[in-house]
Amino acid sequence: MGVFVFLPLVLPLTALPIARLAEQHLHPRTATRLLTLVGTVLAVCSTLCLGLLMVVGTAQLPGNPLPDSWSDPEVRAAVPFDVVAGKAAIGALGAVAVSCTATCLRHGRVRRDARLALAGLPESPVAVLPDGRAYAYALPGTSGRTGKPDRIVVSTGMLDSLEPRERWALIAHERAHLTAHHHRYLLAAQLAARANPLLRPLRAAVDYSAERWADEEAAQEVGDRRVTARAVGKAALVSRGTPGSALAGFAAPGPVPRRVAALLEPVPPSRRWPPTWTAAGLALWIAAVGTAASALSSANAAVALVLVLHAATPL
Amino acid sequence: MTDHDRTGGPGWPRRPRRRGQGELEAQVLAALSRAPGPVTAAWVQERIEGELAYTTVMTILSRLHAKQAVTRERAGRSFVWRAASDEAGLAALRMRRVLDGQDNREAVLASFVTGLTQDDERLLRDLLSDVAEEPED
Repeated sequence: MGVFVFLPLVLPLTALPIARLAEQHLHPRTATRLLTLVGTVLAVCSTLCLGLLMVVGTAQLPGNPLPDSWSDPEVRAAVPFDVVAGKAAIGALGAVAVSCTATCLRHGRVRRDARLALAGLPESPVAVLPDGRAYAYALPGTSGRTGKPDRIVVSTGMLDSLEPRERWALIAHERAHLTAHHHRYLLAAQLAARANPLLRPLRAAVDYSAERWADEEAAQEVGDRRVTARAVGKAALVSRGTPGSALAGFAAPGPVPRRVAALLEPVPPSRRWPPTWTAAGLALWIAAVGTAASALSSANAAVALVLVLHAATPL
Repeated sequence: MTDHDRTGGPGWPRRPRRRGQGELEAQVLAALSRAPGPVTAAWVQERIEGELAYTTVMTILSRLHAKQAVTRERAGRSFVWRAASDEAGLAALRMRRVLDGQDNREAVLASFVTGLTQDDERLLRDLLSDVAEEPED
């Protein structure tokens, strides 16, 4: 064993090139699903690894409830710097737990507050709010017996700035978010990024791909890519407020111009994978093999640690 | 006496369905907007479905006042109230507060567009002018 038990913690670094390639070459639907899956697997392995490091490093500290044999010298041989790593893992695990819980709570709170804000309005799929500020949101409903339906919230400020067909594109875009349950992908990617900060680029890529996915659905429904592109562009210009980054001059183009540019291109091929012997195909194969290798070594390291601990458990 | 008796027994009056804050505010506002002019809290209380305590009505009116959804003037020793916005306007005020909350924007609601940098804006205007130049359908 040795240093490779730390692999699950650093392998998410591979997320950056994977995210770039998937974003550029795959159909947004495939990209969203693939990247969310990759992110979730890597995040789970990374967290599991933290947990195991903590167990091995700290099982012999006085006053802890773990069996002492979990950090016998044989077990510790698997982990370099056991005690240091173990103690650091306690802090890291705590941070992951706190930040993931906070994310879930906020998710629930915002959804509840937004639903409450709409109480008293007639039940309709689209809630139009008289507000000069331009915004549009997809608000997922709740499932279950007392479930609330999905709703789209759009301000008059937003509607006023768009032509009738562009409004149609806007509503179709939001409806696509709701039908395909995009909020689940976004939340999963957000939690993964909290579990391991190296997965942040993946989260940004999932956000972007989900928007592109909804853009494509809207363009298909409206039957006009240029109208959809105009809707996205105009909406961004009227609702601009918060500058994205202080280093704007050095930044790559933000998501909105890329979305508009993508809509002005032809429809992306909806087949799942580009042909192998093209640049895109090769790049994607390399990314896929790299991801599979990352995920496998993550899982392998985690499983190996579990087995060592299992063997060391007195029964 | 079992728990079941206490909650479901015939001797206990059935409580009216508990209404949420948002729903109550909407009802009070709806009543106010039907009023012929500025009215008192008691006037509102009479016109709300279900029995609502006078103090509850006053609380809701003050809350609506804080949100600038109603206005009030002093008339003698009490206030008379007038609707400043309708139910949709109130919903808009509440929604704005949700959206303004810290970090809320990115939390769950998939927003149609996100912030633009200055470069993005210039790029976007170029792209849009390209789209507009060609003949419309």
